[in-house]
Amino acid sequence: MSQRPLDYAPDALDQPFWEGCERGEFLLQRCPRSGRWHWPAVADPETGSGLEWVPASGRGTIHTFTIIHKVFREEYAERVPYNVIVVELEEGPLFHSNLVDCANGDIRVGMPVELVFENTEGGFVLPLFRPRRGG
Amino acid sequence: MSGLGDVAIVGLGVTTQGVRMGVPERLLRLQALEAARADCGLKRSDVDGYIACHGSIVFEDLRFLGLGPNFAWSLASGGATAISALIAARGVIATGQAECVALNYGFAPSLMRGGVGGYSYGYPQLFGLFGPAASHALHATRHMALYGTTSEQLGSVAVQQRAYARVRPGTLGFDKPLTLADHQQSRMIAEPLRLLDCCRDTDGGVCVLVTSLERAQDLRRAPVQVLGLGTGHNVRNWYDRTVFDKHDDIGPAAERAFGEAGIGLDDVDVAQLYDPFTISVVMQLEHYGFCEPGQGGPFVASGATGPGGAIPTNTGGGQLSAWYATGFTPLAEAVWQLRGEGGATQVANAEIALVSGHGGNGGVQNTWAHATALLGRAR
Repeated sequence: MSQRPLDYAPDALDQPFWEGCERGEFLLQRCPRSGRWHWPAVADPETGSGLEWVPASGRGTIHTFTIIHKVFREEYAERVPYNVIVVELEEGPLFHSNLVDCANGDIRVGMPVELVFENTEGGFVLPLFRPRRGG
Repeated sequence: MSGLGDVAIVGLGVTTQGVRMGVPERLLRLQALEAARADCGLKRSDVDGYIACHGSIVFEDLRFLGLGPNFAWSLASGGATAISALIAARGVIATGQAECVALNYGFAPSLMRGGVGGYSYGYPQLFGLFGPAASHALHATRHMALYGTTSEQLGSVAVQQRAYARVRPGTLGFDKPLTLADHQQSRMIAEPLRLLDCCRDTDGGVCVLVTSLERAQDLRRAPVQVLGLGTGHNVRNWYDRTVFDKHDDIGPAAERAFGEAGIGLDDVDVAQLYDPFTISVVMQLEHYGFCEPGQGGPFVASGATGPGGAIPTNTGGGQLSAWYATGFTPLAEAVWQLRGEGGATQVANAEIALVSGHGGNGGVQNTWAHATALLGRAR
């Protein structure tokens, strides 16, 4: 269980994603017409359709990251320094998250990662990532 | 001879800029407006168009300022606000809706609780992403991984801009030297960005008065002509996942502005690039084409943006070392350079200036809008 400030309130269009996390499913949007994957909720830029939630692999590589040292919110005072990563998912979309099971100093752009869910006290089940095991 | 859409900046008012000044924002706007009027000699009744820049409340503003324009609009596009307002002003002047438009800005973030450094983004805040430093750090990390850019090279941006600011009275960096060692010893904010990679929020007001090139001929100051303008939007780069490679949607903005002006990069004498963080300068120099992709770090470290360099950049110290006015910092310095009022850092015979702005931090894709202005000394 981790404590985080959770003043983020998903609306009805984003809610299926978070409900999926509670079931242990990592859902992304896929356009039924173009087959292109998206995150977060978006109308497909070419076809204008979207809003079909489909289970995704949860695999990707680290596209970029930062290690945050400054306490921007008091709730994070105990956590600094902590990482924020952007994962380039196998399906295409970029996804912001945190990397676990890895020292901050060992994080590299291009590192293969895989999904792991974490329960939080605020009620969200968060999709986090860890270095991919077994290649 | 001037044509439809030929407009010029004729008045510039810049208030005292500083930290925790305690001056109410609407008073900053009044001071800026009166300074701009005094600069060019326009009467209050001449101001028949008003654009309240960056979130100021139009209705309260007008009554307090005692203005009676044909229209008054709010325009907010983060650091792209100043140039976006210039685009709007040119449009209303060209279509006869107004003859003289005030772009007015006054902001006192130090009066805000917590300032602007810690605002949050949609879902990424669940993972602890707060504030523009962290989101710009994502660009810097990727740039370092792709091209080998170093923290020292980012530091050379801060050092060069301080070298400009330290001889420019009225800047936060005036008379305060900065070395690369100072940069390297400054505390980490969001890796790889250190404290001295980041600009500070400052309080202050800026007013820019815009009119037709024809009308500008009768006024007190030599007009600064608007040669070309352009915009681009970063959300496109989120869709195709190039957002962290591009920093901003500079390509379309630059293409339109240079195309309209009918000039090339070689014609630009001075660049005033929106610089909330050092990485922003490095990546813009590349994407505008002043150096090869990935070479922005070595380019700045070589002195190319300094006095006598290939492209003197942020010659007033920029936001990093002078003051932060949501896109009006580079615009004001461009006007001063083209008027020959750049003081100790005046670029000799500066005739054409490139100005940029980016902003409206939108969450997942970092910044929203990018805007480009090419300004010229009217002859």
